[in-house]
Amino acid sequence: MKDFMLIFLGTNYFDMGLSPEELQNKLNSWFEWQQKMEEEGVVKGGHALKPEVRHITGKKRTVTDMASAELKEVVGGYYIVSARDLEHASEIAQGYPDYDIGGTCEVREIMVYNQ
Amino acid sequence: MNKTKIVDHLFRHQYGKMVAILTRIFGLSNLELVEDAVQDTFIKAVEQWKINMPENPEAWLTKAAKNRAIDLLRKIKADESRHLNVTTPIAAIAMNNLFLDNEIEDSQLRMIFTACHPVLNPKDQIAFALKTVAGFSLKEIAAALLLKDETVKKRLSRARKTIKDQSISFAIPDQKNAAERIDKVHEVLYLIFNEGFHSTKTSLLIQKELCGEAIRLISLILKRESLRTGEGYALFALFCLHSSRLETKLLDDGTLVDLKNQDRSIWHKPLINLGNNALQEAMKYKGLSSFHFEAAIAAEHTNAETFESTDWRRILKFHQLLHDKHPTDYSIMNQAIVLIQLDKPEEAKKLLDGIQPEALEKRAYLYYGILAEYYIKMEQKENAINALLTSFNKVTNLAEKKYIENKIALLSQ
Repeated sequence: MKDFMLIFLGTNYFDMGLSPEELQNKLNSWFEWQQKMEEEGVVKGGHALKPEVRHITGKKRTVTDMASAELKEVVGGYYIVSARDLEHASEIAQGYPDYDIGGTCEVREIMVYNQ
Repeated sequence: MNKTKIVDHLFRHQYGKMVAILTRIFGLSNLELVEDAVQDTFIKAVEQWKINMPENPEAWLTKAAKNRAIDLLRKIKADESRHLNVTTPIAAIAMNNLFLDNEIEDSQLRMIFTACHPVLNPKDQIAFALKTVAGFSLKEIAAALLLKDETVKKRLSRARKTIKDQSISFAIPDQKNAAERIDKVHEVLYLIFNEGFHSTKTSLLIQKELCGEAIRLISLILKRESLRTGEGYALFALFCLHSSRLETKLLDDGTLVDLKNQDRSIWHKPLINLGNNALQEAMKYKGLSSFHFEAAIAAEHTNAETFESTDWRRILKFHQLLHDKHPTDYSIMNQAIVLIQLDKPEEAKKLLDGIQPEALEKRAYLYYGILAEYYIKMEQKENAINALLTSFNKVTNLAEKKYIENKIALLSQ
């Protein structure tokens, strides 16, 4: 088994006009996915990220503060899952609940150096 | 990782609570600010919880709401040049007290009375109540009331404007004005319930939500001793008794089932019991309202083991009393239906002849439906089919159209 990172890109729930009920339903889909992964014993950990973003770029190390709402694509969180291969990890990523609102789930294998 | 299950509608109900508490702190003039802040809190909750669920979601939300209040207080202070009207700068301790259960209920009652304030346009009252008290979104209100999003938006902003312009106070009315104001609250809740129970255009899900909200809100009123009335109990009884058969009335595929053909074995017994008890409670108060009679009629139906064993005589009496109290063409039509059940079609026809179907406008199809029942009883098949055809042409609702169509097909066999 190898470790993969599932990176969630592009969605934040601000400005979508979701009602409290819809937000709760969204949350429930996250839980369902998480539960499924736990039952299958594939999930190893994960975190949600706060929406404040500080960008540091360029030789001059230019610092820009912004809210994720201003960005087109922002990393909202990640899971680390254990899977046989990229195919299997992608299968797990099918459960990501935000495809319907324009979200992307990026699947990346975590590099391991042997010895 | 935690697996706490979130209670159904927690967010929606929390929304109403939080909006009410924060409005108590910041005043109705800051209502929009408050609503945006609460919405924000929920989005933050989802963003965080989706991967790490807190031990106690409800406590998390309350804490978030408190922090929100402190943020807002700062923001409003900073914006003072914009002359935002903060009613009272409440100290942290006093603010904490507002998050205690009984104070939350108090705030929610204030919000209900605000939404049902007599100076608001009746059309705006329902939309505003669904938004601020029940936590429905604009889209959900539009779906529930069969309105365009734009219309709902207009109604909500008109309500907010009226509240501001008339400087309505965020308060539970005092003894002197209580009676009239409670009547108004009952009326609005009755309308919300009917939007749920009698609408056949919306989904069963939305219907349940509306009926559920009406029940929840009348319960809040009844919990407060000073607001308890016979009408309130009767209204609660009516809601429970009707709701008990909601799922047998409209099937998942949108088929409408009449009282005669509903599966009584799956009528919801606990709701029927609640309804019966509340009706008894309602009778302990002085005076009988139209809600009393409506609830009594509903109870006769839900308490009858079979359609055939329904006590139509009692139901007729209640309908007559209801008509004395509140005369409408609908109660006359209801009496006609009962008279047909009682094998007195001629008397039914007399009542029907006294009605101008055109005056019923969109509900004229009901008149022709009852007229058809009369003809069926009189074994005048052709007349019955003709009446049903007229009814069919007048009804716009698809589920009802289908229901009438099936009836015509049965008669034509």
